[in-house]
Amino acid sequence: MACLRGKTILALVASACTLLIVVGVLTPILMPKNNQASFGQLDAEAHGVLGESPYSLDVLFMGDSEVYTSLDPLQMYRAQGFTSYDVSTSAQKLPYTYSLLDQALQGQSPRVVVLETNMLFRKFTVDDALWRTLADTFPILEHHDRWKSLRPVDLTARAKATWTDPHKGFRSNDAVKPSSAKGYMKPSSDRAAIRPLNRWYLERIVERCREHGACVVLLSTPSTKNWNFKRHNAVQDLLDEHPDWTDVSYLDLNLAQKEVPIDWASETRDGGDHLNRSGAKKVSAYVGSWLQERYGLPDHRDDAYYYAWNKAAK
Amino acid sequence: MNSFCSLTFILLFLPGSAALWALAPRRARPAVLLAASYACFWLISGALLGMLVAATLVTYATGLALGALRERQRRALVGLSRAERKALKQRGRARLNLVLATGALVLLGMLVAVKYLPFFAQIGSSLLELTGLGGPLVAPRLAAPIGISFYTLQALSYLFDVKNGVVAADRNLLRLALFMSFFPEIMEGPICRYTDTADQLTSGRPPQGPEVGSGCVRILWGAAKILLVADRVNLFVKPVFADHTAWDGTVIFVAAALYTLQLYCDFSGTMDIALGAAHLFGIRLPENFRQPFFSRTASEFWERWHITLGSWLRDYVFYPVSLSGPVKGVASVLRKRLGMRLGSVLSGGVALACVWVLNGLWHGAGWQYIFFGLYYFALILGASLAEPVFQRLRTLLHVNPEARGWHLFQVVRTCLIVIVGELFFRAEGLRAGLAMFSTVVKSFSPAQLADGTLLAPGMDGADFALTAVMVLALLAVDLWREHGSPVPAGALRHRTALTCVAGVGLVLAIILFGAYGGTYVPLDPIYAQF
Repeated sequence: MACLRGKTILALVASACTLLIVVGVLTPILMPKNNQASFGQLDAEAHGVLGESPYSLDVLFMGDSEVYTSLDPLQMYRAQGFTSYDVSTSAQKLPYTYSLLDQALQGQSPRVVVLETNMLFRKFTVDDALWRTLADTFPILEHHDRWKSLRPVDLTARAKATWTDPHKGFRSNDAVKPSSAKGYMKPSSDRAAIRPLNRWYLERIVERCREHGACVVLLSTPSTKNWNFKRHNAVQDLLDEHPDWTDVSYLDLNLAQKEVPIDWASETRDGGDHLNRSGAKKVSAYVGSWLQERYGLPDHRDDAYYYAWNKAAK
Repeated sequence: MNSFCSLTFILLFLPGSAALWALAPRRARPAVLLAASYACFWLISGALLGMLVAATLVTYATGLALGALRERQRRALVGLSRAERKALKQRGRARLNLVLATGALVLLGMLVAVKYLPFFAQIGSSLLELTGLGGPLVAPRLAAPIGISFYTLQALSYLFDVKNGVVAADRNLLRLALFMSFFPEIMEGPICRYTDTADQLTSGRPPQGPEVGSGCVRILWGAAKILLVADRVNLFVKPVFADHTAWDGTVIFVAAALYTLQLYCDFSGTMDIALGAAHLFGIRLPENFRQPFFSRTASEFWERWHITLGSWLRDYVFYPVSLSGPVKGVASVLRKRLGMRLGSVLSGGVALACVWVLNGLWHGAGWQYIFFGLYYFALILGASLAEPVFQRLRTLLHVNPEARGWHLFQVVRTCLIVIVGELFFRAEGLRAGLAMFSTVVKSFSPAQLADGTLLAPGMDGADFALTAVMVLALLAVDLWREHGSPVPAGALRHRTALTCVAGVGLVLAIILFGAYGGTYVPLDPIYAQF
């Protein structure tokens, strides 16, 4: 390394430039030409948020499967009239949350961003974080496998996002598998650990929301498998450690059993991990009215701009 | 960071360590390298680093004790008569053996405790049940630190060499610690000898310009083998071996062939990364592969595949067992009774059996691994015993042993032998291996190779096409290595430009055709589990 000469450095710079040029040429060819699964879009339901009319969403729900099984944006629209979207994917890790939020904020200016708290405890590695940063910088990495399905039109067509999920990211399920966990929210003074990397990403996400004038809600949806008092305490501690987070609220529905009385014998689809349609109805009803009351969200039901929403909600 | 292909290793750890090492003063470089090696070990195995440190201290102390005994013996021999020297040497040898056995037992004890205890407990339970002497034995499953099988063999080779006077006991603990922990070797080897690397590790010699370039290209070539081939064919191999009852003979045979390819690309790719990474520190590690699929016999295959394990077993098991008193006695009796050739082959078989049982066991604690070792033992011993018959057959059939067609036949035959061996090696237990082999024999149908049956397990046509292109590329590179470089000498003047072109080409190939992201699940380094 000490003996790198001028010629070698020149060769290295030329190689890096060649690499960047080739990647730059190939990226638009390999990118999905629309935000649908049939075009090669990964996690198409979550990316459906990119097809929503510009600056039309009031709330973004971010998180893992707890979000898309518990929160029904169309039910909230029917009841309260505000618009929202479940930008959620299975086993979502915080670097991906940050990336999805960043993409959504390019075309939306939500008043509230709701973060489901289960993912605060999902372990991810430095490798996961590096991968996400690289994939966001060089999208070819995420879509490189499209060489298998390229068509002549891919050489000239430009990528766009015109599709949106008719269910706004929500996935309902009618299955019933009772949960046997009783008293899963037994009070405790113990604390679960939130890893430093998770904490760092959460802080970046809150920062990003603030830059866009959005308030943040940390929401713990009901789950006997994923939630407990130790985790509740850890989230509460996190808020206590950030006295400047005056615009960040915490709502733990696992402690609101009077307001959201989930019947764990019939309202979970997989033994307490996720809710089914009936459970989601209760959660959506409560969260919808809580958000509207707290943040004074607008009612768009009579607004012509929201024709598509009125049609979808019927 | 669980493999050399992880972003943390390739983008942060390796360049960071190389830069720190290069910026450090030459005298401080060994300490930087040791710190980087222990950091790498810690990132993979956490607190189990303590086991590596303990093994290093045991090796160091045993080495010093052996060195001191040898030195005392050397001094005491001066001025003695021949008979006295003989008696003293015999006593000295016994002491050396005792010290060596103590150190080796501690090292092997750690290896057995984390790797073999449950297997041995299972065997013990079966024996107790058979003899009706007691209930089942239960052994705890302990976490194993990365590379324990590799660094234990390195430590043992050092102790054997000190005991035999091949190397002097090292008083420099840092050098010995580096020899046992140098991070490019820690994942999957190569299994180095003290004479191979110890001095290089502490010299702090900066790499020459071409070394850095060739090291980077070698790292990229290794990553391409893993990401383009090993991770891609996993789409086929994993489901077939996970539930072999769902597939017929053709699919199982192709899965075994693809697993052989996967193992080669994963292991030799990791070796390429290890050797390339070592180049960045000015260190040359021994090669572990020499075009194994050009082998004409099973025994030649093992001289070209995992070379450092083969040479370790040859030097520290085969020769000592062959030259031991009891085996020499058996050889003498067999030669008298069965003739020189047959007697020699059969007595050599005793040492060969030890080598192959240990080879199998080294790969894992399971009957399929022992079967794998005995499979090669039977093939190699059988080939030696039957050689006169084969010779007569070749003469009768007018086979020219130097003809290209005959070479090709031998190479294809060896490949088939290897594929069958890997089928047992990868199977989920010996019973599953035997069932899979039986399915291949009963229901292999060449017509299914082209009727779409092979698309069922998980690889599509594009995956097969890409794998075929990579096999051709591997073949071309192996032919180049086997028969020498086709690059004209004049072109080597443009070495820097060639290196850059190769580097850019490989990075682009990995970016575009690598099996990563999306639904691909990266393969854990296969040999790191052994």
